[in-house]
This record gives sequence, structure tokens and C-alpha cells, in this order.
Amino acid sequence: MNNLIRFLRRYYYVFLFLVLEGLSIYFITLNDSKQSSSIISAANNISGTFNNTIENINSYFYLKSKNDALVKENLQLRQQISSSYVKLINNIHEESDTVYKQRFSFIDARVISKTVNKRNNYFMLDKGSLSGVEPDMGVIAPNGVVGTVVKTTENFSLVMSVLHQDSKLNVRNERTKTTGTLIWNGHTYSTGQIVDMPSSIALKKGDTVVTSGFSRDIPEGIMIGTVKDFTKESGTGFYKVNVKFSVDYNKLEYVYVIKNFFKTEQDKLMENIKELQEEQQ
Amino acid sequence: MIRDIVICAVQFIILVFCQVFILDNIYFLGFINPMLYVWFIIMLPFATPKWLVLVSSFVLGVCIDVFSADIGINACVCVLIGFIRPALLNAFSGNIDNVTFQRPSVSSLGLKNYLPYMALTVFIHHLLYFLIENFSFDEILTTLLRIVLSSVVTIILILLSDMIFFKKNE
Repeated sequence: MNNLIRFLRRYYYVFLFLVLEGLSIYFITLNDSKQSSSIISAANNISGTFNNTIENINSYFYLKSKNDALVKENLQLRQQISSSYVKLINNIHEESDTVYKQRFSFIDARVISKTVNKRNNYFMLDKGSLSGVEPDMGVIAPNGVVGTVVKTTENFSLVMSVLHQDSKLNVRNERTKTTGTLIWNGHTYSTGQIVDMPSSIALKKGDTVVTSGFSRDIPEGIMIGTVKDFTKESGTGFYKVNVKFSVDYNKLEYVYVIKNFFKTEQDKLMENIKELQEEQQ
Repeated sequence: MIRDIVICAVQFIILVFCQVFILDNIYFLGFINPMLYVWFIIMLPFATPKWLVLVSSFVLGVCIDVFSADIGINACVCVLIGFIRPALLNAFSGNIDNVTFQRPSVSSLGLKNYLPYMALTVFIHHLLYFLIENFSFDEILTTLLRIVLSSVVTIILILLSDMIFFKKNE
């Protein structure tokens, strides 16, 4: 008994180390689970509150540039509203109430914390499940794609940026219509990489790259950026393309979270495909 | 003694604040993510009991983690740093009186002893942090570059802050 106590006394420090280390590793494993655990929610709530306060102060310093950006976006929108167009053919969309069905709606949100200097970058938004934000929703900025919501609490949500090693986004070259996958190699936040873009159709520097719409979370035709340079990968028949992002992720301020009304329907269809595949095997 | 605890607490808050709201938002060349907060563990007084080093390292790590998206990495690495700190200090400090509330710094240890102790701690911290963060060997060269560059910047930052803040006290 005495020996045991002496042993414990001598090595309590190692046990404490093991306990704390075990606890930390348990925290790390929580990150991967799909459903938000209460620990992570609590952490997000605390940091969300702090970030919100800091961001409120910070945002005063950028009022001018933000106004400029808003004016620019207003201009774009103004050019799209119907009053800017003259009706040329009268009998096409006359009784078209049932022709269009809304597929996407947008929730505006503000970025309250962000990183761009890590390998895996995230944004935190000031809207959460109370405002209708759910995991897997796409997030875009006025001039390009931002990422996907991964976790939400009542008032905040965490967005996996396209600057993340798990981010894979299907994109399309607007001119050639060829598609590829957008990834990020972790080097600079202004440049992304496209792989799997067939080299059978020649690329050009400056080509516009947009989302393909194959992803259920982000609509078609959202700007990604422009082709900066590219190399043909020998033996594969694919290009390796560097894309200059149209969004400056370091200055991101206001974003839109996208709600897809057809998501459950599309998900159901995808499940059918999985079942079919399983049956065939 | 109480004065020392208060000083430590204030340093803790300032370092966490600096790390989360300033250093994590700095973007430089894409590879550099200095982590000055390790300095807190490095400069805990010599006489701090081992368990207190471990617990405060853990709390420090958790505080930083709360503000980053992937929870647990900083805590995990900090606890390990806290665990090996006494051994490192022993190796480099020689015969410093262990009852004093003196802190490891350039003035107390001398640059010759302080620099290897501090640099080794920082390097181990960054090595583990970036390896766990990436968790794959796909981009191992990029990760290594990131580890080395960030370590160098952190070491320079700690040396500079050390020279600025510990000069005044004497």
C-alpha cells in the first residue's frame, strides 16, 4: 500500500498528463462527428459572442470600401430587374405564374471571424439555426463562392471555406463548357487549383470559371475566378489549372447562405441510386 | 506570490487575445501562422509545480481552441509541451534555484541557454500542431515548410517580446 502511494505520488504528474491528453484527443474526435456535440456548440457560442463584439468595432474601419462594394452590387442588380428591360416579344411569359418555381432562397449573413492562413480555413457567420441556416447549405459572396456550412448553433454557424483540404467543388469553364474539380493546395488564399479538367479542349488565360451546378448546395453559374495559368499533366489527358479567386477571402464581410428548396427531393433521388448500386452488387 | 499569479493571469489574457484576434488574422506569404501564445508556457516561473504547468497549458490550449474551428488540437499540443517543459528546462537551465519566482527569459538564463530551450519548445509545438492539423502525408513538403517558417517567425517574435517586456522589470 505504502509503495502504491509512493508510486502515485511520484508519477501523479504522468497520470495527469495522460488524462488531459486523452481529454484533448476526445475533443479532436468530436470535430469529425456529423451532429454537433454540446461541447462544440458551447465553444462556438462563446467564440461567436466575442467575435461579434470585435467585428462590430472592426467594421467601422471599413465602411467606405463596404459602401463601394454595395453600390457596385446594387448597380448589377438594377441592371437585372425587369424595369430595366423592354419587352420585345409579348406573348411568351404572359401567363407564367406556374412556369417558374422558386428553387433557391438566400439568407444574408455577416462574417464575424475568419482565417486564411491555415491549411483548413473556416468562417463564422452571425446567423444560425434560428435564422434558418442548416448544415450543408452553400455560402456565396456577392462576387463568388465562399464555402459550405458545416455546423450551426442557434445564433452562429461555421462555414468550411473553399480554402480547406476537404473542399471539392465541381466547376465549369464558362467558354469551353468543360468541367473540373476545384481544390486548394494550401499555398496562397488568392489562388485555387482545378484538377480533372480535360485537356482535349484548349484553355486560355483569363477564362472565366463558374460553378457547374452539379452540387446540390450551390446554384449554377456562380463566379469562382479566372484562369491564371495551366499545365498539361503528361499521360492523364487532364489540365492542372491555377485559378485566381474573384473573392478576396481576407476581406470577406457580407455573404449569402443558400437554401435549396429541392434538396430533400434531390437527396431522395440520390439515395435511390445508392440502393440500385447495392442491389446490383 | 499573489503578485506573480496576477501577472501570469494578465499575461494569459493578453496572449490569448493577441493570438486569436491579431496573429490568427495576419496573412503573410501563405505559410506563416505564428503562435506566440506558446510563450506563456515557456515563461511560467521556474518554481511552478508540475501539475500546475500541465493544467494551465491545458486551459491555455482550450481557450485558443474555442476560437478556432477545429477544437482540441491546441489543447493536445499544449499539454504535451507542458509535460516536456520541466525536462527541457532542466537540460538547459543548469542550476537555477527552483524556489524563486524568477521566470525563464534571456536575462535570467542568458541567450545561450534560453534560445535553445525556447526554440526547441516552439519547434516541437509547431511540428505537432501542423502535423495534426493536416493529418495526411500528401503535402508533407508544404507542411514542413509551414512548420519551419512559422517556427522561425514565432521564435523571433518571442525573442523580441522578451527583450521588450523583461528589460523593463529590471
